[in-house]
Amino acid sequence: MAESIFDLKHVRKRVLKDINLSIQKGERIMIFGPSGSGKSTLLHLFNRLEDPDSGQIFYYGEPIDSYDIPQLRKKNGIVLQYPYLFPETVLDNLKYGPSLFDEWQSGNEDKLLDYVNLPKEYLDKPVDDLSGGEKQRVSLARTLANQPEILLLDEPTSALDDQNIESIEEDLMTLMDSKALTTIMVTHNLHQAKRLGTRGLFLADGMIKEEGDLPGMFDQPKTDELQKFINVN
Amino acid sequence: MERDVSNFSLLVLIVFVMIPFTISYFYQLGLKKDILWSSIRGAIQLFLIGLILTYLFNLKPLIGIPIMLSVMITIATFHARKKGKELPNVFMTVLVGLITIEIIVLALWLSFDMVSFTPEEIIPMSGMVIGNSMVAMGLSLERMKSEFETNHGKILAALSLGATPKQASHLTVRRTLNAALIPNIDQLKTIGLVQLPGMMTGLILGGIEPIVAIKYQLVISISIFSSVSLSAIIVSMVMYRFFYNQNMQLVDFQKIKNG
Ligand SMILES: Nc1ncnc2c1ncn2[C@@H]1O[C@H](COP(=O)(O)OP(=O)(O)OP(=O)(O)O)[C@@H](O)[C@H]1O
Ligand SMILES: [Mg+2]
Repeated sequence: MAESIFDLKHVRKRVLKDINLSIQKGERIMIFGPSGSGKSTLLHLFNRLEDPDSGQIFYYGEPIDSYDIPQLRKKNGIVLQYPYLFPETVLDNLKYGPSLFDEWQSGNEDKLLDYVNLPKEYLDKPVDDLSGGEKQRVSLARTLANQPEILLLDEPTSALDDQNIESIEEDLMTLMDSKALTTIMVTHNLHQAKRLGTRGLFLADGMIKEEGDLPGMFDQPKTDELQKFINVN
Repeated sequence: MERDVSNFSLLVLIVFVMIPFTISYFYQLGLKKDILWSSIRGAIQLFLIGLILTYLFNLKPLIGIPIMLSVMITIATFHARKKGKELPNVFMTVLVGLITIEIIVLALWLSFDMVSFTPEEIIPMSGMVIGNSMVAMGLSLERMKSEFETNHGKILAALSLGATPKQASHLTVRRTLNAALIPNIDQLKTIGLVQLPGMMTGLILGGIEPIVAIKYQLVISISIFSSVSLSAIIVSMVMYRFFYNQNMQLVDFQKIKNG
């Protein structure tokens, strides 16, 4: 039996009502659904940025609150929906996570910038000078710097152009393949979900309305809601 | 000091108060009630304090001084707390902070004989220290709340990368401290140049040699400077942790406030 990383039992949180979900090692889960349906809220739960109002979350079979919180957050690295960057420079941001654990080694920055398609000259750039898409990429690199075992991504390419999306997707694929990274990603881009995901979750009205294997689940949606969602996206 | 201000001249002051009142009335600035009310209230408060002070000054110092200090610290605590009511433990933090500061200042004054243990000296000087500390604590509380609000996202990001509340608050605490300390430092820099400090003015009016007045002013200015700095430091170093719950998650005070 595959090792189950996350098990959610009757989880409620704000708009989320009764989420039941099991995520296995190596899965690449794509979460999509209308705005305000609770996608970000759900993602925050895996990093313990927030806790459920009721219900339980198990992590490797144990209640999630039995784990050391900073360590758990480091392992379950999240890229937030908005790239809240720290002052001053890009390098400061890349160092932030590893420095918390005394794990920063100079030289790491080259590979990180490479992952997110940014030139080396950007290291000393003040983050205020970056474009929206560049900020998003620094935010992704900042999370990768922590060498997470599970990657939680909240619309990580929403501010990027097609060319950058393609190259970042490629890098993500390489990363996921090489380290067998379990990935949970929120996206409104259904093509992206098809390209990257192994399983899709359609979230609406705070519930998992439909789930299925990717890319198959878009070919024969079982619910009208998903059909409609596919039509408009 | 036999010099006194006659009751008649006090009445003349009312004319002074009436000037802004009248202007406000004619230009409909909407200040009128406020001005009138606060002058009346201020006057009554001052006269009452005068009466109480006369009474307390006649008590033995060891009795009168602690009573007066306790009253001042309590009032100051209630006042400063208003700026951070929605936060837990504000009252205790401010109270313990003010007591600590007052004890440090008293120890300094008395052990080096800068001030004598009489109500006439201890009470007004402590009043200045406590009053300024109260304002500084209130400002720090307000500033800290707004810094937490503006930096909400960055703090979330820091936590999500594995930062403890202390690490995640580093920037916020530093900015709160800076904001609280800069006006304090500026004031010390321009002291005596822009305005003659209050206490010195008082002593000179009371007939004390300017050079002696300056020495007293130095004692009080530096005491205030250190107390205000300490106030900001205490509030910043203690209060940040109450913005988090025990699971290292940001607490949503906006929500608590709105019900
Ligand atoms: N800190 C908060 N306090 C109160 N309500 C919140 C908070 N964060 C989110 N919400 C509300 O919870 C609901 C779900 O929000 P969430 O951000 O999870 O939605 P989403 O599916 O990610 O939406 P989007 O696609 O727009 O990002 C929304 O109605 C939102 O207003
Ligand atoms: Mg969202």
